[in-house]
Amino acid sequence: MTLDSRTPGGPLPGKWDRHRFESKLVNPANRRKFTVIIVGTGLAGASAASSLGELGYNVKSFCIHDSPRRAHSIAAQGGINAAKNYQNDGDSIQRLFHDTVKGGDYRSREANVYRLAQLSVNIIDQCVAQGVPFAREYGGLLDNRSFGGAQVSRTFYARGQTGQQLLLGAYQSMMRQVEKRSVSLFANREMLDLVVVSGQARGIICRNLITGEIERHAGHAVLLCTGGYGTAYYLSTNAVNSNVTAAWRAHKRGAFFANPCYTQIHPTCIPVSGTHQSKLTLMSESLRNDGRVWVPKKNGDKRPPQQIPEEDRDYYLERRYPSFGNLVPRDVASRNAKVVCDEGRGVGESGLAVYLDFGDAIKRLGEDVIRTRYGNLFDMYRKITDEDPYRSPMRIYPAIHYTMGGLWVDYNLMSTIAGLHVLGEANFSDHGANRLGASALMQGLADGYFVIPYTLANYLGGTAFPVVTTDHDAFRDASDTVQGRIDKLLNARGKETPRQLHRRLGQLLWDYVGMARNDAGLGKALAEISKLRDEFWQNVSVPGPANNLNKNLEYAGRVADYLEFAEVLTVDALHRTESCGGHFREESQTPDGEALRDDANFSYVAAWEFKGVTAKPELHKEPLDFEYVKPSQRSYK
Amino acid sequence: MRITLKVWRQSGPAKAGTLVEYAADNVSADMSFLEMLDLVNEGLIARGEDPIAFDSDCREGICGACGFLIDGLPHGPVRGSTVCQLHMRSFSDGDTLVLEPWRAKAFPLVKDLVVDRSAFDRIIQAGGYTSINVGGARDANSILIGKDTVEQAMDSAACIACGACVAACKNASAALFTAAKITHLSLLPQGQVERYTRVVRMVDRHDDEGFGSCSNEGECEAVCPKEIPITNIARMNREYLKATLMRGR
Amino acid sequence: MSSFRRVFTSSVGTKLLIGLTGLALFAYLILHLAGNLLIFFGQETFNEYSHKLISNPLVVPVEIGLLLIFLLHVYKAIINWMGNQAARPVRYEKTEWAGHKSRKSVSSVTMIWTGLMTLLFVVVHLKQFRFGAWYEIGSPPIRDLYRTETELFTAPAWVAVYVLCVILVGFHLRHGISSAFQSIGADHPVYTKRLVVWGTAFAILIGGGFAIIPIWVYLTR
Repeated sequence: MTLDSRTPGGPLPGKWDRHRFESKLVNPANRRKFTVIIVGTGLAGASAASSLGELGYNVKSFCIHDSPRRAHSIAAQGGINAAKNYQNDGDSIQRLFHDTVKGGDYRSREANVYRLAQLSVNIIDQCVAQGVPFAREYGGLLDNRSFGGAQVSRTFYARGQTGQQLLLGAYQSMMRQVEKRSVSLFANREMLDLVVVSGQARGIICRNLITGEIERHAGHAVLLCTGGYGTAYYLSTNAVNSNVTAAWRAHKRGAFFANPCYTQIHPTCIPVSGTHQSKLTLMSESLRNDGRVWVPKKNGDKRPPQQIPEEDRDYYLERRYPSFGNLVPRDVASRNAKVVCDEGRGVGESGLAVYLDFGDAIKRLGEDVIRTRYGNLFDMYRKITDEDPYRSPMRIYPAIHYTMGGLWVDYNLMSTIAGLHVLGEANFSDHGANRLGASALMQGLADGYFVIPYTLANYLGGTAFPVVTTDHDAFRDASDTVQGRIDKLLNARGKETPRQLHRRLGQLLWDYVGMARNDAGLGKALAEISKLRDEFWQNVSVPGPANNLNKNLEYAGRVADYLEFAEVLTVDALHRTESCGGHFREESQTPDGEALRDDANFSYVAAWEFKGVTAKPELHKEPLDFEYVKPSQRSYK
Repeated sequence: MRITLKVWRQSGPAKAGTLVEYAADNVSADMSFLEMLDLVNEGLIARGEDPIAFDSDCREGICGACGFLIDGLPHGPVRGSTVCQLHMRSFSDGDTLVLEPWRAKAFPLVKDLVVDRSAFDRIIQAGGYTSINVGGARDANSILIGKDTVEQAMDSAACIACGACVAACKNASAALFTAAKITHLSLLPQGQVERYTRVVRMVDRHDDEGFGSCSNEGECEAVCPKEIPITNIARMNREYLKATLMRGR
Repeated sequence: MSSFRRVFTSSVGTKLLIGLTGLALFAYLILHLAGNLLIFFGQETFNEYSHKLISNPLVVPVEIGLLLIFLLHVYKAIINWMGNQAARPVRYEKTEWAGHKSRKSVSSVTMIWTGLMTLLFVVVHLKQFRFGAWYEIGSPPIRDLYRTETELFTAPAWVAVYVLCVILVGFHLRHGISSAFQSIGADHPVYTKRLVVWGTAFAILIGGGFAIIPIWVYLTR
């Protein structure tokens, strides 16, 4: 199978316009005849549900939470990028595009990224009209802050709760459609299988998490907006219920999984403090605007930070990257933290942390200014660590945060299964091998508000749909598969809890498929994962009922999927022998330890086809052509 | 640290419930309250017993999924915090803690500490938005909003819909939740168009869901993890007064 | 729904009505107390005041108005209380007051009971005074309310009942005054905070002011 990205022709700036013009439309009166199933209610899912509901489609929206507003987009802190150039500092669509392609280490599709940069402008307008309380300046204009990987201020923010406010905007728009009955809401539902009939995605099987009932839902198209797979690593900044299940089951039904090894490790998280920990907490990257990152110059210098004089401190980011300093992209910042900690200069009890120091900023701007900018983040830090960041520097360490990989989609956001569209973090599309800060919110909303309304119409308007009801054999088969898997989990009756097994998987991935990877480690991980998977099915304990709320059963199912998924993640990492973005391969680095890309051999999207749980997935390549941004070794020096 | 828990166990809405005692051993002071519960559940699962059901997701105090009463206080004894952000260092070795779910007619119990808060969604559904479709928005900077105004709106918009306000209120009123959204939108220019229809529709829906009326005591404010003040409720009342008596909605 | 019905039945409207009627009754209590305190100026002054009041042709319409306000207050408060009880059908095993900024107090949790006691008290009080023993004095004769009052308060039991009841009224006002302002939508950044303090001050003033009269009468007769 050849992967066709269906990127429209013509010059880059006009591609999206041209594509919209050439796309088929659906007559307003006919739209309600089409049922669109949307799984997930984060930024991508909620925005898609509201925009498609407004257009008049019959939308069914599903989420695993008790309310759509709990989707993990809500936890995004820092902000959302847009090429508004309100600050008159040289920003433009062209520059946002350029920064994003470069930030992604030249592993994204140019046309997608350009479209994203174009649409970024509309997103801000839309969100402000919804009443999103973005920060303002005294004159009433919108305020911006700068973020890693950019030299302009283009990030819009609402305190440290930008994701929350954007999600609530999208959620409220969606609830408006629920009231108008154009969107039907199915909360507490977990999608457990995709139903494919004659090559088209025609429905989903989901479990009602309250009653345990296995439900069948049919439609004309399925939109997966189910987020990323960061919790494969057990400890991550993702919510504890985030999972790969929906995407993985779609993958098993034929959707290719692209670039799973591109995982983003966020540099500013609160360090791990013990084995009891269930998740890691992110401290917004915006902190790096005013905070300075340092470690002691001497190995094993265990003095309290205040007692370490200036000359004994190594502000290593400022030293190594004078032009970007503390604002280097995430992958660079994370890797450097690992390097200094590996050298033995890490701080804190575990030695796995570096300082993020606001001492200078407080001296320069005063505590009040810092409190206005980061007050809630500082409070959060204090709550978790019981330390006061106004007095002593924060300790931070990288943690899994975002996954650039995801189901492969074409320019229309359609996967390799006709009708199955994938939006937001769940797809692989726009961030290449590394995502810049404040770009995830931008992508989720661009996909939902501004891309899918056009590309879905193109699909629905140009496709013949045989009549399919939930009595169809394909629904029965999928439903039986789901039921069988649940029964198998409940009947395992072993001794180990899903959490113990998940934690072991997470440790394995963090050690061997984490910030730095090598051939031997990845090989070892592959062997261990399959052993762990066997152990899971023999020894997992899932007590409790099937016909009732059973969070442990839900969790066990997700861990089981991670144990399958982890293998393709590792296989992808193993095959990509270059370093790029969020994937640092130790065998491929420059003499001064920077990531070394191999454009000659790896300038492609690796899309994996499922061949069976124990069989090696098949690699398909979508070559990447760079017409407008010429790949160069990324330098932030 | 060793903590004794008395947890409300109830296998379903129609079933009888009771407090069941559990011992949590080897609790570290750095654990969050939910991590301590995870630990208890790990023990239960390993013994083949049904673990304690409780909601949680982001575990950083923003999604609003978690919440139950600890010794009669929603989200426990620490102010401005959800249970996921509450750490065991707030308790002492040997403490006995009673855990109960939110209780309100409008929040039917699902299981153990989990309740159904979909009534909140339906309140938002009634009018907690600006009725604008995607595509027609004008340039964001063409709407000027004062810094103070937007900060005030943000204070209200920070609500996470956890339900602690309802749980704490002796009348099981969702006035604070409803008022926070009404205040957020009524402060901003974008919310003016539907200002008066919004307040009456949301209050009507609030009542239809079976919540009580505001007690004006402010227990809600005291337990709110986002510390949203009851001045929001006063504003809602005023907006309602204007909408009904002066504008005949 | 008509806006009238909406105000009359909704949770916010109900509180609004309770608040408005409560404030009207509060204002009445201030006037009532001011009048009653004239008893300290002796029999003549007090009777003169009471005569002027009851001989005013407007007094009956005003009284009817006051009664309607009072009944509306009572009716809405009871309905409201019943609705609020229904909003939490299953009680907590363990409850705790949140403290901090909360205004929850003994007076706020007993509003319905202090209110009902006040209702009972008002009935008795009207029977004893408004419709109580009618003595006349002077020429032309005017009602000697002073005598009615002093006779009643020679009985220590009635003194105790009155003192207790007006203290309960004070408790009712302690939460009621600030609560009423909240219900009608007062949220000034500075003044609202003072409302609680002023509400308490007025509650003490009114409760104490009314309580002092029977005690004084008892002690000085």
